[in-house]
This record gives sequence, structure tokens and C-alpha cells, in this order.
Amino acid sequence: MDEPAKPENAAVYIVKTTVNQERSVAGLLAQVAKKDRFDIRAILVPDELKGYVLVEAAVPEEVDQAVQRVPHARVVIKGESSFAEVEHFLSPKPTVTGITEGSIIELITGPFKGEKARVKHVDEVHDEITMELFESVVPIPITVRGDNVRILKREETE
Amino acid sequence: MVDKVCRECRSIVLSGQSCAVCGSTNLSTDWGGYVVIIDPSRSQIAKKMQITLPGKYALKVR
Repeated sequence: MDEPAKPENAAVYIVKTTVNQERSVAGLLAQVAKKDRFDIRAILVPDELKGYVLVEAAVPEEVDQAVQRVPHARVVIKGESSFAEVEHFLSPKPTVTGITEGSIIELITGPFKGEKARVKHVDEVHDEITMELFESVVPIPITVRGDNVRILKREETE
Repeated sequence: MVDKVCRECRSIVLSGQSCAVCGSTNLSTDWGGYVVIIDPSRSQIAKKMQITLPGKYALKVR
């Protein structure tokens, strides 16, 4: 019944994976950790990091052993990161950050893909931008998600 | 089938129409990021995200 004392302080280890298999690797790593009682505490898969998962664990050897049992998990990168270094992944910034009213943007997806427009309103809470297309004869406001646009020119000062 | 995420506690709902963690029916299919919490009592990630139950969670829900 006596389990060996496990260190309280964990570090974050980076596991290289096949691209687009990050979530399945995280799920399988968690299953292996539970089954074999590895001291892995959490697994983080930020959308910004393609081909990597971040594993919070006490000792790197256990991460290494778990990785060897999971398909699409390739290798544990040497060294460790502190929690502070990965903390920013936990609170992702809205995609509209940096876009201001008056900026000129280009739509990169949807039926108006390739169209240029001027930003009329930025909604940080809902992560949306309202704009008016340049090509449109009648100015109709269109609202799209912040990740559907590319900034061409920041707010113009007239 | 696309997994749903609870807008209240960000837990991933694999089946059913309500969240198994908080019971909310306010679910979303538009989410990003993925976190598996195994040991919430000793995980700094779980503490920062204020998660007390092990499970799968999203980082961002719209």
C-alpha cells in the first residue's frame, strides 16, 4: 500500500508528435499514465503549437516511458520548461487583439474571401469584427470572426 | 461527431446534452485548445485553470 513519495514540484516536458495527432496523443498519454500509474499531472495541447504536446510531470523518465507506448508520440525533447513559460497558453488572447476601428483588412475565408474591407467595429468579448466591404455598392455591415481576417493596414490617421 | 464543450466550466462533453461536471446545458461545438487533467490536486495547470476534477477540457470556448 505504501507508495514511494512523489516530488511535489512538477516541470513541463515537451513531447514531439505527428502533426494533427496532438489530441489523440494527449488522450492516449493520459490513459497510459492512469493505467501504469505514472506521475503525469496534466497534458496541454495549445492550438498554436503544431506537432507538440506539453506534459506536466514530476520526472522526465516517466514521460519518456509513457511516450514509448503511445503511437504518433515521437520523442521527449531534452530539458524541461517551467510552468511560467507555458502559462500564457492557458489564457489565449482574442484573435481581434491588435485590430482597431478604421483598419483595412482582407477576408481570408468564407463567401467574401479575398475582399478588402474597412473595420467599423471590434467586439473583443465575442471575438468578432464588423466591417464594410470596399467593393460593395451599398455599404452593408458584415460581421465575421477575428480569425477570418488578415490585417492589410492599421488604422489610418486622416 | 464533433465534441461539445461546456461554456460554463470548459469541460469536453463526449455524450449527452448536459455537462457531466457542472450539469449545464450551455454547450458549444466551437472551441479550441485541449487539456487533459489527470491529477488536479497537484497540477499547476489545473490550479491556474481552477479545475478541481480530472478530465478533458478546452482552452477556449466561443
